[in-house]
Amino acid sequence: MAVETNNKLVKWIEYRLPVFSFYRHFLVEYPAPKNLSYWWNFGSLAGFMLVVQIVTGIVLAMHYSPSATLAFSSVQGIMRDVNYGWLLRYIHATGASMFFMVVYIHLFRGLYYGSYKRPREILWFMGVIILLLMMATAFFGYTLPWGQMSFWGATVITSLFSAIPVVGHAITSWLWGGYAIGAPTLNRFYALHYLLPFVIVAAVALHLWALHQHGSNNPLGIDVKGPQDTLPFHPYYTVKDLFGITIFLIFFCYWIFFDPGALLNPDNSIMANALNTPPHIEPEWYFLPFYAILRSVPNKLIGVMLLGLSVCVLFLLPWLDTSPVRSGKFRPIFKQFFWIFVIDCVILGYIGHLPPIGPAKFYGRIAAIYYFLFFFVILPFVGWFERPKPMPESISQAVLDKKAKRAGTEKA
Amino acid sequence: MLPLWLAGKVFRAQARGPSKRIDLLSSTVSGTPPAHPEGEIKRRDFLFLAAGALTVVGAATAAWPFIDQMNPDKQTIALGVPIDVDVSGIEAGQQIIVAWRDRPVFILHRTPENLKTLKEPQVVNDLRDPDSKQMQQPPYAANWHRSINPDYLVVVGICTHLGCIPHLTKAGAAELGASWQGGYFCPCHGSKYDLSARVFEGVPAPLNLPVPPYHFVDPKTVRIGANPKGSNWSFNAIEQI
Amino acid sequence: MERVMRKFLVAAVVLLTLGVVRPVPAAAAAFVQKSPPDLSWSFDGPFGTYNQAALQRGFQVYKEVCASCHSMDYLHYGDLSALGYSKAEIKAIASGYTVTAGPNKEGKMYKRPARPSDAFVAPFPNEEAAAATFNGVAPPDLSLMAAARDGGPNYIYAILTGFNQKPPKGMFVPTGRYYNPYFPGGRIAMPPPLTANRVHYADGTKATLDQEARDVATFLMWASHPHLDQRHQLGVKVMIFLFILAIVFFFAKRRAWKDVEH
Repeated sequence: MAVETNNKLVKWIEYRLPVFSFYRHFLVEYPAPKNLSYWWNFGSLAGFMLVVQIVTGIVLAMHYSPSATLAFSSVQGIMRDVNYGWLLRYIHATGASMFFMVVYIHLFRGLYYGSYKRPREILWFMGVIILLLMMATAFFGYTLPWGQMSFWGATVITSLFSAIPVVGHAITSWLWGGYAIGAPTLNRFYALHYLLPFVIVAAVALHLWALHQHGSNNPLGIDVKGPQDTLPFHPYYTVKDLFGITIFLIFFCYWIFFDPGALLNPDNSIMANALNTPPHIEPEWYFLPFYAILRSVPNKLIGVMLLGLSVCVLFLLPWLDTSPVRSGKFRPIFKQFFWIFVIDCVILGYIGHLPPIGPAKFYGRIAAIYYFLFFFVILPFVGWFERPKPMPESISQAVLDKKAKRAGTEKA
Repeated sequence: MLPLWLAGKVFRAQARGPSKRIDLLSSTVSGTPPAHPEGEIKRRDFLFLAAGALTVVGAATAAWPFIDQMNPDKQTIALGVPIDVDVSGIEAGQQIIVAWRDRPVFILHRTPENLKTLKEPQVVNDLRDPDSKQMQQPPYAANWHRSINPDYLVVVGICTHLGCIPHLTKAGAAELGASWQGGYFCPCHGSKYDLSARVFEGVPAPLNLPVPPYHFVDPKTVRIGANPKGSNWSFNAIEQI
Repeated sequence: MERVMRKFLVAAVVLLTLGVVRPVPAAAAAFVQKSPPDLSWSFDGPFGTYNQAALQRGFQVYKEVCASCHSMDYLHYGDLSALGYSKAEIKAIASGYTVTAGPNKEGKMYKRPARPSDAFVAPFPNEEAAAATFNGVAPPDLSLMAAARDGGPNYIYAILTGFNQKPPKGMFVPTGRYYNPYFPGGRIAMPPPLTANRVHYADGTKATLDQEARDVATFLMWASHPHLDQRHQLGVKVMIFLFILAIVFFFAKRRAWKDVEH
């Protein structure tokens, strides 16, 4: 696809490195289904948050000291002395929460509309890999301020590896570089926290490459039949994505400017102390559902395995879901189990936040059982006996039907 | 955001060509070629222009904290306060080097012989700026000895070429030849200064060494970083460190 | 089938919500930590700012009362300019303290009066020395107290005014500990630090216990969040800009999509 232009410089570059046609192909002409809803904004929002986190992170690294004696006070230097340091740190710290929120919505959208089904399985895998990398990056990053919650969070999570039989102890001391979390651990976590975002960038490139192979899924879940079903990405989806980013920024900036403390744990304003665990430790909200699953199992090894499985089960999703229909819109029974699953995840998150005693423990177990039931029992079986609703022939047909229906109601 | 918007502009302008401007959109994959009356296009153009302009303004403003964070922070500035140095222990002909704002400051106790060289035509004729016309010193040091008290030279010891520290080199030093009357010699690229830190012709350094603001609190103590009473000269006014 | 599903869904949600919302029974102890009162502060809300007079009074309380036991390591005397003090006043405040500097040319450490660029001088040379003085419990650093406790300034106020109440029946309060219902566990090692007229305010404000506690809580809030004023001011501007941008993009989006059936 050549770029038609009379600009000599553009022609000169294009002949040697076809960046302009690449760019035009992917961001201007790229045909996207015309019926994408606002749920499809969260992919570009996630990309936006990745850039925000990388840029603020690099800037913060210019002022941060990854040493156990200086880390906490260098963060205080950023918050108090560096020009706009408070702003940059609040963007980065609350940005982690925003990034996860956006990615979780993106993930649930894919789950509801069957975006993991043929031929988008590898696209989905890349997404799960990005999620795993994000979790690792967030975990390493949370250690860096070297507050009490940094220290004890890192202790608990690295201790998960001690559940591995025989080599568990060797692995934890290898991770720590000492007898416990300490100065060497902080240094290596800093190095990895700086590295992993760029690995995420590479994974995102593969994710987008796979996306452009077959194009976006859409709310109807039916394939694009021809040009009448699509719109060029620019200006239709560029302006829509930018509008979405603006609305998202209003939400994001509320936390940054007016309530940054709501997303930060007070215990992390106390410097790490290896001799004193805070009375109530909990991970950041985006890990709470998984944390609740871990805690609901009374066996260390099985708990850790289920924790790992709770994320990795997403890799199996294309085969666990046996229904040939993509969109939940046409799947009356799946739809209801899906919403129970969403509520279940929220409940797991809430239970992960409660102290592990009393009824919370009991309901945590029920919620954890449903979590796995949904993937391993409900998805395969519902796909077999559910009778999907009739589907429109094509995207443009659905649009016409909708229009006709609207005209009908207006008449009546 | 910004490059996207600009590229959109470029492509649309290109597509406009002789035919209608919406050609690009309709000639591609769009199945429903939108037909706009002229007025509609203007309104759309205005909205797109406004959105683009506001995005550019927002992005440019948001860039400022990312730039400003690299400037010296509050504590660094707070530490850049004047320092007091006791000069009574410096023997004639010797210098001490003290740190002020992380930079070396030379305090040279000049002998009467040293001072005599400053007026020798053999030296003065070879200097770039013998009369200290360039703003490399506060007005109260813009004199033949570039100091307040001729006995003590106070200069920031950073070569105006590329930032190395020149060495105090005595008269008759072998490597500088017989005509060398004493002064500063920079080992990095060979720049030479006389005993009032005025730069010689024919070396890469362009300017005399800068004199910081200073004054004598008492005959024994120099306060570096603060002007004498009555002067409000700013060190930022100099040509170059 | 669908009807069955819906019933199942409703039942599940009701069951789970009931179970989770039900309060967790308290542990056997009779003591229940009280949550601090929700006071109104000048720095509340998106337009909130610090009151400089309250900050100065709060600093006076800190300086005359708290500072004899509690350090504030992350503050520098120069930071006090945010409280409205002039450069000369800050210099005078700083020079009232002595810091150890050096080494000098002879390799010896020496004492000199503090400067505005110095950190607040701590009452003890190190944490161990502080702990040794107070039966093994070092008074915590106050630089981040309002950020490091749930409730922030409300919690600080509650602790400072929460002394001299009767402990619940059966609760044993050993000597060297004081009953305070707002403190986790109810037994705090800090004796009641504030009473009415503990300080004489320079600005003539009546020094009631309530006033002192509020002022010092305001000061500690500022110490934890020194850029709150700037943050709020910038935030309001950013929000106004983003709302305008959102409106423009909303119409631009609508205009772009005007003729597309979707």
